Amino acid sequence: MTIREIEHTADLGIEIETGDLPVLFSTAAEGLYGLMADLNDIIPKEKIAVSAVGQGWEDLFHAWLCELLSQFNLNGFVGKQCEVAVLQPGRVEGWVRGECLDLERHSFYTEIKGVTYHDFKVWQEDGMWHAKVIFDV
Amino acid sequence: MSRGDRTGGEEVKLRRVAEYLWEIPRHGAMRVPGRIYASEELLPSLQHDQSLRQVMNVACLPGIVGYSLAMPDIHWGYGFPIGGVAAVDTRDGVISPGGVGYDINCGVRLVRTNLLYRDVEEKISRLVEALFSLIPSGVGAQGAIPKISRGEEKRLLREGARWAVGEGYGRQEDLDHMEEGGALGSADPDLLSERALERGLRQVGTLGSGNHFLEIGRVEEIYRPWEAEVLGLFPDQLLVLIHTGSRGLGYQTCEDFLKVMNQATGKYGIDIPDRQLACTPLSSPEGKDYMAAMACAANYAWANRQVIMNQAEKAFLRVLGVSPRELGFFLIYDVCHNIAKIEEHMVEGVPRRLCVHRKGATRAFPPNHPSVPQAYQKIGQPVLVPGDMGRYSFLLVGTEEAMKATFGSTCHGAGRVMSRAQSKKISRGINIDQEMARRGVVVRYQGRATMAEEMPHAYKDVADVVETMDQAGISKKVARFRPVGVIKG
Repeated sequence: MTIREIEHTADLGIEIETGDLPVLFSTAAEGLYGLMADLNDIIPKEKIAVSAVGQGWEDLFHAWLCELLSQFNLNGFVGKQCEVAVLQPGRVEGWVRGECLDLERHSFYTEIKGVTYHDFKVWQEDGMWHAKVIFDV
Repeated sequence: MSRGDRTGGEEVKLRRVAEYLWEIPRHGAMRVPGRIYASEELLPSLQHDQSLRQVMNVACLPGIVGYSLAMPDIHWGYGFPIGGVAAVDTRDGVISPGGVGYDINCGVRLVRTNLLYRDVEEKISRLVEALFSLIPSGVGAQGAIPKISRGEEKRLLREGARWAVGEGYGRQEDLDHMEEGGALGSADPDLLSERALERGLRQVGTLGSGNHFLEIGRVEEIYRPWEAEVLGLFPDQLLVLIHTGSRGLGYQTCEDFLKVMNQATGKYGIDIPDRQLACTPLSSPEGKDYMAAMACAANYAWANRQVIMNQAEKAFLRVLGVSPRELGFFLIYDVCHNIAKIEEHMVEGVPRRLCVHRKGATRAFPPNHPSVPQAYQKIGQPVLVPGDMGRYSFLLVGTEEAMKATFGSTCHGAGRVMSRAQSKKISRGINIDQEMARRGVVVRYQGRATMAEEMPHAYKDVADVVETMDQAGISKKVARFRPVGVIKG
């Protein structure tokens, strides 16, 4: 599995490659939170359930990221470890372990406003799954 | 003369139309040509990203009129380029939330005072501290005012800045110096999601993170004395500039409606080159709903900036120990730079009702336009162009030429020239506070990482951007001010 940050003039993005579709989803979760805060400081003491629905892998992946972002926006939750339990066409369910942001203890990088569709892609090639997503900062 | 620019691996042919204007001829799926305002010096910064490709993509939107336009602060965005303007006919055109952005009605307001910088120079640090303490900044910032009830929030969403003034955060005359009087009338809060409403409850009066900031500036140069006098500006005067938007409520509204638009794009058989340009006919139920929801978020942003201005006034009064009359805190103007507005424009000699998307672009209406406040009828609408927090910001006024060439639009800021990762890398070896102090700016910020990404070196020189618009006749420079204090998330 590889994850890399995309160079973008105004915003931030990640590109992921893996042989396993659930790992694509779990890595994206850690990638999203890793853009927002230094995950080395985050203690995985709370476990929250996250689920999303969407038609096709691309929309499902997008909805999953939106749900993960909402956990931060509504509760200040930053995930460090993610596990996908159910992944089937139209639905994903999983857990994220982490804790709520505490600026006294945590290094916060950037607020992410949204998961854009610009250049957004989820595709399979030569037996590998790929995803590319740009976040509005 | 023509020039080839590479954007994302693809060469885009640019044809020079005038000294500061370049055209991408209509081809492929483009319904209109693209037009970019840029000087020779600014043009190279467009070569390495996808911003020109995005100008071409916007030119494919159904109902687009005239040109897909880009201002000189253009840079790579998502869907629209930042600095993009597109006017579509209200009868057969579309509305695209990607042409407004996540931060609906992100905008700027400029406040003047009666004070001279030289008289309060010693107190700038204390002023910055007081502002930082009274105006919650940074990620998750909340609590500038007590949490409002859901009913109160809905009233705020309908009334915008009027709600804030009614609650005691400012004066009635402030409302005369804002686009639309600080409220779009078409707002319907019942169209917002639970999540959007929840996110809005605690963030009224907060600056937020990213590129948002509050700047204390001093008037450094006046280019047009008569206009400056009408605006109440004088040399060495202390000003306050506030740059923020609709916070989480706006971001959530954009996200919610992008999902609606993705469905609608298929439903109405619209072909788009980028999913972020998902759109729907303005006349469709989805289009009407988005416009009414967008208006709520726009109104939230005006209320937000109004409350922040009121908090800033409190900070000044507290630190300087002067009376409100001596301080003379007075709103010059408040502009939106992420919005879609229904406006009337002349197109080939015929008046047409258009929906003008401004994504990182500012309205710039001319003298005698009915939408310009009474006080500014003779000089045109004030245009506020913040810089990079380290060099300078500008005040301009709109012109007739803008009405003819850009649907009454101009630039909105410096425009990024460097990615966030690059900027952080350069900032790594820099003591940010010392670097800003070297520039004569006292700075307070919540997150070092955000500040490192937003340092002045990440931006174009806003003077080049403004000069391009001035030379092209789109808006006229009135004054330049230099930051002396900044607070930021």
